[in-house]
Amino acid sequence: MGLVTEKLPIFLEPVPGGSVLLASMDKLINWARLNSLWPLTFGTSCCAIEVMMATGAPKHDIARFGAEVARPSPRQADVLVIAGTIVKRMAPTLRTLYEQMAEPRYVIATGSCAISGGPFVYGSYSTVRGADEIIPVDVYVPGCPPRPEGYFYGLLTLQKMIREGETLRHPGVRRKPVLAELPPGITMEDIRRDLVHLLEKEARVDLREAENATAESTERLLRSGNSSSLIRSTRD
Amino acid sequence: METQVLSSAVLAIDSKAQLRDKTDRLTVTIPVEALFTFLSKLNTDSSLAFDMLCAHTAIDWIAEQRFEMVYELYSTTHSHAMRVTTSVPRENTVVPSVSSLWRIAEWQEREVYDMFGILYENHPDLRRVLLDDGWQGFPLRKDYKDDYLLERPE
Repeated sequence: MGLVTEKLPIFLEPVPGGSVLLASMDKLINWARLNSLWPLTFGTSCCAIEVMMATGAPKHDIARFGAEVARPSPRQADVLVIAGTIVKRMAPTLRTLYEQMAEPRYVIATGSCAISGGPFVYGSYSTVRGADEIIPVDVYVPGCPPRPEGYFYGLLTLQKMIREGETLRHPGVRRKPVLAELPPGITMEDIRRDLVHLLEKEARVDLREAENATAESTERLLRSGNSSSLIRSTRD
Repeated sequence: METQVLSSAVLAIDSKAQLRDKTDRLTVTIPVEALFTFLSKLNTDSSLAFDMLCAHTAIDWIAEQRFEMVYELYSTTHSHAMRVTTSVPRENTVVPSVSSLWRIAEWQEREVYDMFGILYENHPDLRRVLLDDGWQGFPLRKDYKDDYLLERPE
C-alpha cells in the first residue's frame, strides 16, 4: 500500500484528468480498508470479555463486518481496540503498541474506563483518566461494559469515518462523524437546565390538568372525525 | 481437625493468643512480639501443619492509629483453615518476616510493603513489586495524598 498511497499522487497529478482518477482511487482504497479492519486486541479488564469474546462468538459474529481477524501483534493490525482500564504502568506499553502499528491506524476506546477512567476517576492513584491522554482515539463506545451491539455501532461508525475520511492527497487527516465537542452556542448549563425541566415535567402528574388535556384532545378527535366525514362527503 | 479441637490446640501454643468471636473461620489475635514463634509452631507442628499461606494483607485502622496484619493459613494435609491477626502502631511499622516459613510470603510481604509501607525484619529482598521504584508514599494508607489523585467533589 505504501507505494500506491505515497507515490501515486506525484505521478497522477500532472497527467490531464489525473485528479479525477486520484479521487476514484481514494474510494477504492478506502473501500478496501474499511472492509478488512483487523483489530489488535488490547484487553486489560472486563470489557475484553464482553467486547473481544462475545463479539467474536457465533451469536454476534464480528466476521459479518470483516473485522474478525484479531491480531495479537500490532504490526499486522489496523485498529487498536482498547477494552479496559489503563493504569500508569500500562500507559507506556499502550503507546509503544500504537507506534508499532502500520499506518493508517485507528483506535476504538470501548467502555467507561478507556473513555474517561470510569469508576476509578476519583480517589485512584494509578488509573489513567481516558486512553486519549496517551494516544489519539477515533471512536468512543460508551458502556460499562458496552453491549456487543454497541461495539458493532462503534465499528460501523469507524467504517463510515474511513469511507468519508482520508484521501491520498492528505493522508492522516480524518473527518470525524462523531461529535467531539458541544455545538457552538450551546453550553453544558443549557443541557442541564433542559434535562432538569424535562425530568420535573415527567415526574409530576396534575390530575386536573390531565383531565382538561384529555377533554381537549377528545374534543379535537371528535371534531377531526366530523371533518373527515365532511371531507368524505365532499369527495363523494 | 474439628473447629473446637483445632481452636483449643492453637490456643494451647501461646497463652497470649486470643480467640476472636463473630468470625467466619477460626481467628486468633496475637501480639507482634510473639507472632513469629506462634506462626512457626503452626507451620511445623505435624497435627496442625499449616503449610500454605493463602493470603497476607494489612488493614489501616487510622482512627486507632494502627495497622492490622492478617495471615490466612490453610493446611493441605488436614484441610483446615485459620486466620492470624496482629497489630502494629502506625509510627513504628516493623513486623517479623515469615518468608522463611512460607516462600510465597516473600512476594506477599513485598506487596504489603508497596501498598502500606510495612517494614519486614529479615526479609531477603524488600523492594516495591507493583509500583514504580521511585514512587513516593504508600497508596493504600488512608491518609495517602499525591498530585495526581482527584478527590470526589461533594
